[in-house]
Amino acid sequence: MQSLSKASALSAQPATEPVRRLRLPQKLRNLELFLLLIACFINASAVVLVQLGALGELDPTLVLLGAGLSVLVISLHVVLRFVARDADPFILPIATVLNGIGIAMIYRIDIADQQGGWESAAVRQTVWSALAIFSAIVVLLVIRNHRVLFRYTYIAGLVGVLLLFLPLIPGLGQEISGARVWIRFGSFATFQPGEIAKIALAVFFAGYLVRNRDSLSMVGKKILGARFPRFRDLGPILVVWALSMSVIIFQRDLGTALLYFGLFLVMLYLATGRLSWVIIGMSLFLGGALIASQTLNYVNGRFTNWLDALNPDVYNAKGGSFQLVQGLFGLAKGGLLGTGWGQGRPELTPVPQSDYIIASLGEELGLAGLFAILALYLMFVARGFRIGFAGQDDFGKLLAVGLAFVVALQCFIVIGGVTRVIPLTGLTTPFLAAGGSSLVANWIIAALLLRLSDTVRNQPRLVV
Amino acid sequence: MNVSELTLLVLRFGFLLLLWMFIFGIVYALRSDLFGQRVRKLKTDATPAPAFPLSAVPAAVPAAAAFAAPVARASPATDAEMATAHNTTRLVITSGPKAGTEFPLGTDTVTIGRSSDSSLVIRDDYTSTHHARLMLWNDEWMLQDLDSTNGTFLAGSRVTVPTKIPLNATVKIGATSFELRR
Repeated sequence: MQSLSKASALSAQPATEPVRRLRLPQKLRNLELFLLLIACFINASAVVLVQLGALGELDPTLVLLGAGLSVLVISLHVVLRFVARDADPFILPIATVLNGIGIAMIYRIDIADQQGGWESAAVRQTVWSALAIFSAIVVLLVIRNHRVLFRYTYIAGLVGVLLLFLPLIPGLGQEISGARVWIRFGSFATFQPGEIAKIALAVFFAGYLVRNRDSLSMVGKKILGARFPRFRDLGPILVVWALSMSVIIFQRDLGTALLYFGLFLVMLYLATGRLSWVIIGMSLFLGGALIASQTLNYVNGRFTNWLDALNPDVYNAKGGSFQLVQGLFGLAKGGLLGTGWGQGRPELTPVPQSDYIIASLGEELGLAGLFAILALYLMFVARGFRIGFAGQDDFGKLLAVGLAFVVALQCFIVIGGVTRVIPLTGLTTPFLAAGGSSLVANWIIAALLLRLSDTVRNQPRLVV
Repeated sequence: MNVSELTLLVLRFGFLLLLWMFIFGIVYALRSDLFGQRVRKLKTDATPAPAFPLSAVPAAVPAAAAFAAPVARASPATDAEMATAHNTTRLVITSGPKAGTEFPLGTDTVTIGRSSDSSLVIRDDYTSTHHARLMLWNDEWMLQDLDSTNGTFLAGSRVTVPTKIPLNATVKIGATSFELRR
């Protein structure tokens, strides 16, 4: 109320006077709390429906576990009330629903696999969620202004590259189903440092492009209506290309390579506004991928599985399209409205709780449920783009769009792979899939977007 | 406790419905993002003039004239000094409901529009949600129209491409005009 009287005093005085910041009541936070309560209710009812569908009875211990998640997200909301009052009110509820639906599906597959107790994947996922939300709170408390990150551009780049190649160190790295992207702590915990690397690289790309975009955007020859860069300005894109190609060759991970290269390309396009960079980048990556598919066995196999999935020879081959086709059968079984929580057979597909969680959800929730999940991703990414659009400084703009785009591209690569739009590559579905490193990374992305949106709104403003 | 098929069927549809209601709830809360900010009538208590906003311009000139008079009212001819990051410190509203108010300029882009996340929010019938912006290009302040419906005017002529702004030249958006000053 005090702020409103200040505002009216401002308009009453015709004399020149500096603008005071308007402090409105926390309308945004109240909206967020309202949506968050609905989100927690959705999560709780998902777990209850899994129990009714798969067990036929209610087991109160895991409902309590679900309540733990609600307590955590509400504590994150309380933190926002103090340190980021003007942050976007939609990001937190959307992330909560996605995380909760993921836990419910993992729990459902635990029941099918007769796993239980504290060692089960669902309990693990809940503990990782707690850790991830806690790290989001820490990020919000430590980074009070995103421009601090601009100072650490090159350190972020170095950290990103180091994290990316950490699994290649002998003894530390671990190979799981062909890809060498994990590191191992002790006897049980594995971590995928590449997930954190995507945040560090987004910070690096944003800072680097803000500093150096003039030479990348201004000069060059005009060919067929598009201005192409000079040969010597191709350095950065060639370095990032070489980096992602080495990920394909040494870590044998197509998805990660595509993710990082796509991120760089989009941020480059955003910083320079030149379509020629996209043309150059796409042809570089497609060329590299084509050569890799001819020379590298595992890439070749992925392409065959994709193009010729329903061929019985490919289906029965070792490392063939069995998993992909099982996923498609699951989606077909789900139909329009799904079999209902706990009533399908998603456990027949290999790794139904991580890479194939989308197929599992498609089977039990149907097309209607899958589209709801895609709509949630769409809104999450759209909020990120919106924050970038409204941002006042170039670094914040690039960072917000980069972080949102990473989530979008990751969804496209995984869901496109499962639904046979593109060759299948192993990446995690953001917020949904089982995997601690991915959860931590995506909650940190959510925290950074919240911080950015708070700075965007919380600046000297004048309302006429 | 045994659950019947029918209960499960109802609960299954109920869950999908709940999920979609959540999504449409968010979309409803975001409607200003999709369809633009709602038009709000200008306050009529200050002067009778703002009811027809265009007539507010002469009414507000005396207030602004005290400031603007000593400065030569240069038309944006080539000889006028352009606003740069070094010689410009503030944006002064010269006409409209908030005439006389000033806004500090830093090195950040200033976005102007009806949207609540603009730096300069102008809520009248003539402004678009994202109307225009002021930004620094090579240390010079540029005015860019963001495809607004009713246009952005620099010293009387409509801005179509990013344009350099002379110091003390009038920029008019809807019923509000402002100038960049030292």
